[in-house]
Amino acid sequence: MERRDFIKLSALTAGAAGLAGCGNPDHQLIRFLPEENLIPGVASWRPSLCPLCAAGCGVLARVMEGDAEVVRDGRTGLLKMGLVKKLEGNPAHPVSRGKLCARGQAAVQLAYHPDRIQQPLKRRGERGAGEFEPVDWDEALGTLAAWLKEVLAGDPSGLAWLSRPLRGGRRALVERFLAAAGASPPVYFELLDESVLRRANRLGFGREQLPTYVLGAANYLLSLNADFLGTWNSPVAQAIGFGEFRQGQPGRRGKFVQVETRVSQTGANADEWIPIRPGTEGALALALAHVLLNEKLRPAAAAGSAGAHIEGWSQGLPEWTPEKAETLTGIAADRIRRLARELVAHGPAVVIAGGAALAQTNGLATALAVNALNALLGSVGASGPVRFTPQWESTVPALPHRTLRALVQKILSQPDSPVKLLLLYEANPVFATPPAWQVAAALDRVPFLVSFGSFLDETNSRADLVLPDHTFLESWVDDVPESGTEQAVVSLAAPAMRPLHNTRALPDVLLELGRMLGGRVSEALPWGSYEEFLRVRFDALARQVGADPEEFWKRALEQGGWWSENGLVHTAAPQPARATSRLVRYQVAETDGAVEEFPFHFLPYASQAFYDGSTAHLPWLQELPDVLTTVMWGSWVELNPQTAERLGIRQGDMVEVASQHGTLQAPAVLSPGIAPDAVAMPIGQGHRTFTRYASGRGANPIAVLAPLEEPETGALAWAATRVRVRRVGAGRLVLFSGGLSRFPHAEER
Amino acid sequence: MKKTASRINGDLLRPVLETSPRFYRAVALVGAVAALGFVAWGYQVWNGIGVAGIRRPVFWGFYITNFVFWIGISHAGTLISAILRLANAGWRRPVTRCAEAITVFALMIGAMFPLIHLGRPWLAFWLFPIPNERGLWPNFRSPLLWDFFAINTYLLGSLLFLLLPMLPDFALVRDRARGWRRRIYGWLALGWEGTPRQWHRLETAMHIMAILIIPVAVSVHSIVSFDFAMAPVPMWHSTIFAPYFVVGAIFSGIAALILAMALLRKLLHLEEYLQPKHFDNLGKLLLVMSLLWFYFVFAERLTVWYGNDPAEMAVFRATQSGAYAPLFWAMVFCNFLLPMPLLAIQRLRTITGTVIASLAVVVGMWLERFLIIVPSLAHKYLPYSWGTYAPTWVEITITVATFAGMVLLYMLFAKLVPVISVWEFKVGSHRHAMAADARLQTETEPEPAVGEVSA
Amino acid sequence: MPKNAEEESVTVNHRWGMVADLDRCTGCEACVVACRAENNIPTVGEAEAARGRAMHWIRIERYWEGEFPNARLRYLPVLCQQCDAAPCEPVCPTYASHHTADGLNAQVYNRCIGTRYCANACPYTVRFFNFFHPVWEKPLHLQLNPDVSVREVGVMEKCTFCVQRIKAASLQARAEGRELRDGEVKPACVQACPSEALVFGDLNDPDSRVARLARSPRGSKLLEEVGTQPKITYLARLSWSDDEENR
Ligand SMILES: Nc1nc2c(c(=O)[nH]1)N[C@H]1C(S)=C(S)[C@@H](COP(=O)(O)OP(=O)(O)OC[C@H]3O[C@@H](n4cnc5c(=O)[nH]c(N)nc54)[C@H](O)[C@@H]3O)O[C@H]1N2
Ligand SMILES: Nc1nc2c(c(=O)[nH]1)N[C@H]1C(S)=C(S)[C@@H](COP(=O)(O)OP(=O)(O)OC[C@H]3O[C@@H](n4cnc5c(=O)[nH]c(N)nc54)[C@H](O)[C@@H]3O)O[C@H]1N2
Ligand code: SF4
Ligand code: SF4
Ligand code: SF4
Ligand code: SF4
Ligand code: SF4
Repeated sequence: MERRDFIKLSALTAGAAGLAGCGNPDHQLIRFLPEENLIPGVASWRPSLCPLCAAGCGVLARVMEGDAEVVRDGRTGLLKMGLVKKLEGNPAHPVSRGKLCARGQAAVQLAYHPDRIQQPLKRRGERGAGEFEPVDWDEALGTLAAWLKEVLAGDPSGLAWLSRPLRGGRRALVERFLAAAGASPPVYFELLDESVLRRANRLGFGREQLPTYVLGAANYLLSLNADFLGTWNSPVAQAIGFGEFRQGQPGRRGKFVQVETRVSQTGANADEWIPIRPGTEGALALALAHVLLNEKLRPAAAAGSAGAHIEGWSQGLPEWTPEKAETLTGIAADRIRRLARELVAHGPAVVIAGGAALAQTNGLATALAVNALNALLGSVGASGPVRFTPQWESTVPALPHRTLRALVQKILSQPDSPVKLLLLYEANPVFATPPAWQVAAALDRVPFLVSFGSFLDETNSRADLVLPDHTFLESWVDDVPESGTEQAVVSLAAPAMRPLHNTRALPDVLLELGRMLGGRVSEALPWGSYEEFLRVRFDALARQVGADPEEFWKRALEQGGWWSENGLVHTAAPQPARATSRLVRYQVAETDGAVEEFPFHFLPYASQAFYDGSTAHLPWLQELPDVLTTVMWGSWVELNPQTAERLGIRQGDMVEVASQHGTLQAPAVLSPGIAPDAVAMPIGQGHRTFTRYASGRGANPIAVLAPLEEPETGALAWAATRVRVRRVGAGRLVLFSGGLSRFPHAEER
Repeated sequence: MKKTASRINGDLLRPVLETSPRFYRAVALVGAVAALGFVAWGYQVWNGIGVAGIRRPVFWGFYITNFVFWIGISHAGTLISAILRLANAGWRRPVTRCAEAITVFALMIGAMFPLIHLGRPWLAFWLFPIPNERGLWPNFRSPLLWDFFAINTYLLGSLLFLLLPMLPDFALVRDRARGWRRRIYGWLALGWEGTPRQWHRLETAMHIMAILIIPVAVSVHSIVSFDFAMAPVPMWHSTIFAPYFVVGAIFSGIAALILAMALLRKLLHLEEYLQPKHFDNLGKLLLVMSLLWFYFVFAERLTVWYGNDPAEMAVFRATQSGAYAPLFWAMVFCNFLLPMPLLAIQRLRTITGTVIASLAVVVGMWLERFLIIVPSLAHKYLPYSWGTYAPTWVEITITVATFAGMVLLYMLFAKLVPVISVWEFKVGSHRHAMAADARLQTETEPEPAVGEVSA
Repeated sequence: MPKNAEEESVTVNHRWGMVADLDRCTGCEACVVACRAENNIPTVGEAEAARGRAMHWIRIERYWEGEFPNARLRYLPVLCQQCDAAPCEPVCPTYASHHTADGLNAQVYNRCIGTRYCANACPYTVRFFNFFHPVWEKPLHLQLNPDVSVREVGVMEKCTFCVQRIKAASLQARAEGRELRDGEVKPACVQACPSEALVFGDLNDPDSRVARLARSPRGSKLLEEVGTQPKITYLARLSWSDDEENR
């Protein structure tokens, strides 16, 4: 497609002589025809979408002219093209509203990463040895097409798809492709999956979807373990709301109470911080409801369908006295009563549960209790702070953890795997699943693995064939955000810049494959390009909105998508609340490992810089000091100082964390913000292979997790493992703050 | 025993006129160590200043320590000899030249460090007020600029002060040497004939220089102290710094002088010229300076402790009881506790005694410079950005090399000119001179010194 | 100097300042990465970072108070305070650190010879030094912002209040023959800050958002006692109990 802009300088020899003078060996003799209408030194702003988490923030890319070394038709040369220099939030976009988080700010490094896969690769060495040789696209596509033909000729369900949860056009296209081919349904995996909360919302509110919290509309905020200002749900939208919550409303400043086991980046902002035993958040929510009901502060009926699923709700939760909750949560009964009264007195109030609170075997019960509490407080719906983003189409992935485990079992069920050909895309389950899930073993049993990834991580490096995708800045991108706004949003953006390397956009590769396969598949995918496909989708949307498709498309491309002006229009029909009015009984959360042998509750947490580990390869984020510990370029284990003293552990000592399922080693950080009977560790480091910046750095907490799950959704209970800790020797922390974490005389502040 | 003029000439000029192979071996050895310093510096320039141990927030380390230290050492010579000249202390005569030489060499070495420590030494010339086509001048408000002027003035002054009284001795060597030596010394002697007019002018010039050089010397180390006192860094920003630094400078300078004299005495067999009484007198001076130094340290620390400013207390604690305490108390031991008895008790104030004390003081004063610079930078106002500092092999090599460099320069100096001013010494031992100088009693015969020289 | 006069005529009537609302700052560090991206701040790598050479023109300092379960954490965004009486300026022998007409503490990389005196003199320790020649492993260099010069070994650098953005906006305004609008200039950190803890603008314009916020009773300056006359006002973080009187 870049064929037309390929020329060659005539005076090769002269050029050679001159350039040789510069003594710059990798300087090229070829100069491709420059991109048109670029004014040197003048920036143009092009919309795009941040790909680094499910929030789907809209971004504006600052594009300026520059000289890039590119490969076109197998020739390397200099191309004067628009290069993305900086990402900002897209002010028009309802989710990001002109802002981005730290990861979003660093996303530009995806495109320019020195270890990006620059052309198709074919495995050379052993599986997983990570030895590849370059192949051209025709050969790569040919190989894949041949495999597809063979598999589809036999049992088509031998074709499987494993990627991060997709939304919008990519999801539609992938699923069309798989359906037409008769393949097994796609598996969408991400570690920090929110199925539990979605399911609870479906049971409680009839919406299988993540909630949107309009914090600006709240005056009281009770968060149970949710890192809503850092990594959870839609952090940017929530941080914007938090600013309004705190200082945005004249004459009003909301109260923020955080209940968690370790002071998190979010918890540090709380006006009142309350420690709680992990997995007992639901008990707290029920006790709060108990007080509201028994003190007649709210009628039980106010909770509506959300309360209907909770045993004893209509009777006022007789058994859930604050005293009982105290024995479970460790929070004093009086304090619970006070909190309950404040919720009513200082409303509008909102209760948020997330992260470790729901990553428990009793996560669903907890989420239901919190939903009921919110409903009881009248916080749900147009009036309250808890709302749901109207969606043009549903984006819920089918129970990621359960479907991945099913796929693994299917592969391992027979000596020769019934899954013959597995397509991998932007998911790294080898890194992000507990060892007991046996994902690596399963992948190694699949005869042919094809990856569309851009980096050789633990999963992609096992592939037999790699067909690298463009980065988001080089491709057509679109999205349907699940939360973070009250407007219906369908994001859309054209490529912000031309491809740097010899890569191809996944959707276009699928369309190409369809053509090569012919038959059902090509009929199902009649579009020449992904752009064409998106255009068709937007025409449909335009008709639904009653707009002129041409204008609609142009406008969407200019502003970065389409969003409904006035809130709740054009939404997909909400799924009805589950017919079964089955009562969910609150169970005490299971943990893995006996307290005597494994005295510490192990709390992995999504790290500000690396989220679930998928951004650990970006040097800006590696060198970003963790805001609580100031650690750079590594991982650590957080311990309470008293605990550390008891175990003879000093700051920076190397400690071993051992569960029933594995051990890891990392340097210790003593933090006064963590409970004495818990140890915490950020997720993200400990990659065996993930580019020069992340490989062999730090330790991976997921590697010691027990395979406990929440029964209804099969979601991994990643905060339910118990561990023991011991000092193994001297360690090394790279800290940005070489100084104290306190003022020598606090009173000076 | 009798010292005839001819014997004096013989003793004092021997080192200049004949050289033993031992000397060459020694020069080669010391020279090699000094050369290592240049290798290390080259390595640093080539790879970047990052090969040194400095880091945020301790942006100054060994290099600036050495800078302050050597400029301090330089205060021995010229200042002391000037004071003694004006005080007309006769016992000074064999001492002044070795002293003045120390000044010149210490200044030359000290002045290298501001260049060594630059991030872009190749642009060092921007520090200097050189007229340029861009009409760009350095910032005269910066103490670094004041350093530039102060040090250069002091260096020039000291050079003159050193060279002027050498003329008669150059003439002396000229008259004894032959061949190329004769030509060179003839040129150095600037046609000295020893006519009364020349003698008169020399004396006047020396007197004027002696008066001028004292305020310059005092200003130099005051200004060096301003490098620190002018910055709002805890325990730098102090009015006491200027006198504190000057005292410390003279203190370390005298110690260095005593060491130099002891070495010359041994190596050049000048036992009869550099006598115990010289060491005794310098020892007394050292004692006074030690007391003064301790007084300043005490006054500085007390006010900080009493003022109890949180930022300053952080530095105070770090030095008094924290990470830097061992160095601090070592410094107090070297500069005060050890010298006190050695210098205060008459019986111990021997050559050995003063030499031991001086060794301690030189070490102690180096530590003092380090302790003034590093702990303060490591504990500025915001505890989040506190830090530490440890030197790398580059800094250590360069530091060691400068000491070797000092020895080397001194050896060569002693080889090329009489380290004891021959004519002054004779004037001192002349009866007329005796009358003029009641302090010194020698049992030598009167001799027409001047005539002897010009013969 | 006619050249300077011409330059300064663009912004001479401005006095740029910032407000950091500690009641809004969530410690998300979006500002920290945004500044890197905008200002070509080099990544020094693990080994150098371990030697205290990592560069972050803006940082979020955190200070603990109390012990579990009453441990509290406070965030403090610290960047160059653009002091009116900047200790880093008089000490610089080459004028590399100097004051501009619109009150910025400018850093002329080209003039800096690396004495590091300014960094010692800065009470806030916000000046960063290039101990080695910075490297951008290809093709990361393609991201470099052409509006910001890349520094070389031996050169001091620090927050510039994104002077390139100030200049660009001023020139734009002048081209359109109008005054700068309040909020038209947004440094990268301010633009990124999701909770709008950071606000930037012209302190000479009494009605500008930054000027109004700077007059807040919650306002104070960092290390005011040192006498640097910083141009960043910190708005105190409130505790819920006493919020009544602070409305
Ligand atoms: N390789 C290469 N060569 C080029 C060019 C190129 O792009 N690449 N561009 C060409 C063009 S367009 C130009 S204009 C010329 C520019 O060539 P030069 O005029 O050499 O420009 P610089 O190298 O930027 O600056 C020259 C020197 O001035 C020093 N300097 C900076 N500030 C001051 C100061 O205040 N006083 C003094 N005395 N020196 C100072 C710098 O450190 C540098 O060493 O280069 C031409 N040559
Ligand atoms: N940071 C920083 N900025 C500077 C300077 C600096 O020293 N540092 N120097 C300033 C100065 S003095 C100058 S002159 C300007 C120079 O600024 P520019 O004019 O931008 O100079 P270059 O970037 O060297 O060249 C511009 C473009 O011309 C392309 N080019 C080369 N040969 C040809 C050709 O034959 N045809 C076409 N169409 N394009 C070609 C190059 O690839 C390059 O992308 O930069 C100014 N800006
Ligand atoms: S929250 Fe951060 S990472 Fe997630 S999409 Fe928005 S900017 Fe990207
Ligand atoms: S904060 Fe530091 S660097 Fe910035 S102006 Fe003030 S003194 Fe200079
Ligand atoms: S480091 Fe550079 S800016 Fe700082 S004082 Fe030295 S020359 Fe000036
Ligand atoms: S103002 Fe600009 S330079 Fe300063 S910290 Fe913010 S982004 Fe960085
Ligand atoms: S971006 Fe804003 S809220 Fe986030 S850390 Fe920086 S100043 Fe604080």
